[in-house]
Amino acid sequence: MGYQLSKTKADGIFHQWAKKYDIFAPMLMEGEGCFSDTDIVRYGKVEKLDDIEWNKKSDYSFKEVLLAINETLFYFTEDQTTVPKGPEKDILIFLRSCDLHAVKRLDEIYLKNGFEDFYYARVRERAKFILMGCENTCQSGFCVSMGTNKSDNYDAYIKVTEDAVYMDVKCSELNEGVCAEAMTTEEIKVADVAPDYVTENIEKVTLPKNLSNASFTKEIWQEYGARCIKCGRCNFVCPTCTCFTMQDIFYKDNEKVGERRRVWASCQIDGYTEMAGGHGFRKSQGDRMRFKVMHKIYDYEKRFGYPMCVGCGRCDDVCPEYISYSNCVNRLAKEESES
Amino acid sequence: MTNHYIPQLSTIKEVIKHTDLEYTFRMTFDGEAKPGQFFEVSIPKYGEAPISVSGIGEGTVDFTIRRVGKVTNEIFENYVGDKFFIRGPYGNGFEIDNYKGKELVVVAGGTGLSPVRGVVDYFAHHTGEAVSTTVIAGFKSPKDVLFKDDFKFWNETINVIQTVDSAPEGYEGPVGMVTKYIPDLKFENIENTAFICVGPPVMIKFTVMEILKLGVPEKNIWVSNERKMCCGLGKCGHCKIGSTYICLDGPVFNYVDGKELID
Amino acid sequence: MGLDINTKKLKKNAFRVSKKRGIGASRIRVPGGYLNAEVLGMVQEIAQTYGNGYVHLTTRQGFEIEGIRFEDMDEINEKLQPIIEMLDINQDEAGKGYPASGTRNISACIGNNVCPFANYNTAELAKRIEKEVFPHDLHFKIALTGCSNDCAKARMHDFGIIGQTMPQYDPSRCVNCQACVKGCKSLSVDALRVENYKIVRDTEKCIGCGVCVTKCPTRALTRSKKKYYKLTIMGRTGKRNPRLGEDFLVWADADNIIKIIKNTYAFVDKYISPDAPARKEHIGYIIDRVGFEEYKKWALEGVELMPETIMKNNIYWGGIHFDR
Repeated sequence: MGYQLSKTKADGIFHQWAKKYDIFAPMLMEGEGCFSDTDIVRYGKVEKLDDIEWNKKSDYSFKEVLLAINETLFYFTEDQTTVPKGPEKDILIFLRSCDLHAVKRLDEIYLKNGFEDFYYARVRERAKFILMGCENTCQSGFCVSMGTNKSDNYDAYIKVTEDAVYMDVKCSELNEGVCAEAMTTEEIKVADVAPDYVTENIEKVTLPKNLSNASFTKEIWQEYGARCIKCGRCNFVCPTCTCFTMQDIFYKDNEKVGERRRVWASCQIDGYTEMAGGHGFRKSQGDRMRFKVMHKIYDYEKRFGYPMCVGCGRCDDVCPEYISYSNCVNRLAKEESES
Repeated sequence: MTNHYIPQLSTIKEVIKHTDLEYTFRMTFDGEAKPGQFFEVSIPKYGEAPISVSGIGEGTVDFTIRRVGKVTNEIFENYVGDKFFIRGPYGNGFEIDNYKGKELVVVAGGTGLSPVRGVVDYFAHHTGEAVSTTVIAGFKSPKDVLFKDDFKFWNETINVIQTVDSAPEGYEGPVGMVTKYIPDLKFENIENTAFICVGPPVMIKFTVMEILKLGVPEKNIWVSNERKMCCGLGKCGHCKIGSTYICLDGPVFNYVDGKELID
Repeated sequence: MGLDINTKKLKKNAFRVSKKRGIGASRIRVPGGYLNAEVLGMVQEIAQTYGNGYVHLTTRQGFEIEGIRFEDMDEINEKLQPIIEMLDINQDEAGKGYPASGTRNISACIGNNVCPFANYNTAELAKRIEKEVFPHDLHFKIALTGCSNDCAKARMHDFGIIGQTMPQYDPSRCVNCQACVKGCKSLSVDALRVENYKIVRDTEKCIGCGVCVTKCPTRALTRSKKKYYKLTIMGRTGKRNPRLGEDFLVWADADNIIKIIKNTYAFVDKYISPDAPARKEHIGYIIDRVGFEEYKKWALEGVELMPETIMKNNIYWGGIHFDR
């Protein structure tokens, strides 16, 4: 159902939802940027509509809500394991179209690809998604090129303007919240609401069509590799990167007790392929760059039938060495068309 | 919903010491497992390590572990009368049927012999099921030889070339890399051969080169790839090569597919 | 008729007596070295109208317009007025130029307006200090620098203010990539180590440079909301005993630092050598003579340090002695 309502009313609905859901949305974290007196936008638990950063694309994606950066898999004593409790409440996640498309990619890896992941699944099945529209394109995104600019599989859509809030609520559970609020206050106007989405980006990306193992020897990888400082930021901001590493830790005050965790990992950082005994693969940064790019636009598609990259552009925004993944992809496509 | 990350306690039934660095742990396990598959073996607070199945018995599974890292060090230090956590088996393992009726050659380097030991042992006990079975097993030195008891039996029923990279003076057995023995292999029908090649990545590379020189079709070669595997469940990403997850699609690959796996 | 000029007054008015008889230079203070480019045009006009067309960028980040004639000082002061106003310099009387020159321009590195390493806005704090201490005839040199790299050479000043940040660590965002550990080791003081896959900071060793924060790819390490400063004191150049300033306060706040600087004026006023030529004596020499304990008494008047601030109770300066 589409609605037009006042900000106050919308906050009332938000309040209704908050009873049942923990609500996560992009928030402006003041002073938490990389450099002094800079801010970042990342996901946090919000209490009201005003807590949400509506204008700026989040620097870090929603994925940390579904896939914690550090997740305790279980606690152990000498011969017993205990799994920590899952989320106490259902979860609402505010996100943009590119990110909603990324959810499908996370699902592909964590719910399918071999085994279903217990920890992801128990959060995922309690999550609903509220689409934030994009009236204008962001600087670095290329969602139109990736076909991720538009989404209709949202549970609700919310748009906030100066004097009104517009909602399209598809999920009946969320609609209950709207109704609960409508009963206690004045009418909420029924309206036709369709999500804003961009039809053209500044960045346009063409995917190369004929990648193969032969692409491994391209000079472009070594060129970018020579510039890369293997910090892994591109992976950590990416809404579709899913890798993790296991960690076993013991508590200082009782070394017989501890926990096993999984923690986000980056294919760009040393140690990613290193096995016990020290043997590792992809030692050169160029090979790692190639591995990442090929995964996003070729390997994943070969396995699952559609490209992994959703074109959010965060990796380009965050790279301290100004390595542009989107330009790299375009260069690959150009090389292909010229040969 | 099954939580695949939760390991089960497994009791050590027996420890077979091959060398100072390599022991086989016979662990309790109820379930199916194939040679070439692997388990995540762990001691809490030291972490998990992917260890391949080196033998399957009644209610037991064998892990031949080389002491190379934090987890395996701890396993060696603390195993006495104790238990480990295990979860698995993972991966595809070797299909015995692929090698039946073939002139089978197994080339293994060091602990690379463990995942394929079950295959060799099968044909050593069922000699009629393969046209012939040959094992070329390479170790660093005479003191690094694994599965000595197995070799005694294998020597009776199948062709065994057990070689060492180097040996002290006076050593009478074969010396040299496994690749040295491949050109001399003789076959009734090269098209009906089957090769299995397991060991460190460099060893696999050069061994396969030698095998191909014999005129063996690529489809007759199988390799087992070792990679970092944190989860064994197709999630953690560390073992991915191209579009392949070694933990799900491997670790055993027919060379036709295996040759496409470039890290 | 010969030139009859009070050079003491002239110098106090921020002019300089040059080598060449009748010719001086006009000095323009630019707190923090930060100015609207419009000022450059005004400096250019004065230099071309009254000077020889050349300007020196001073070591303290001001301008010195060369080749001006002493007769033109009044007119130049009028021309300086818009510059003085634009840079918001305290003044006694409009149109009469600078009221003092003893306390030197507050210099600063570029700070966090531009530099990724800087921990604060150096220009802003320089301006604030300028407003508090100028005009004053006593010879004080103050410099601000954004981080422990000390590009402004703050440690060579009577007062050096070095930006610090207290790293805030959220272990739940840490992926154990160790970029901070490596960064701290290679670029700073090796104050971080890993325990149980998480970072442990040696708080004794940490200098608050912020390298770890800039290296962190996940925002597990962020800057403290509070801005911290290290106050180094009594560094100096000069003929007798040039030396680097030593830490007096670590993890201090700007308010108290400003208080201490202002308190020091009273101390100097009381203890400056009566023989000091033109009442110009480096503060450090006065402290060397009077004793650090006595200085501290004066400096800390009305100062209430934050609990996290570390104050050095004793300071021993080194440096090169040419006077022994």
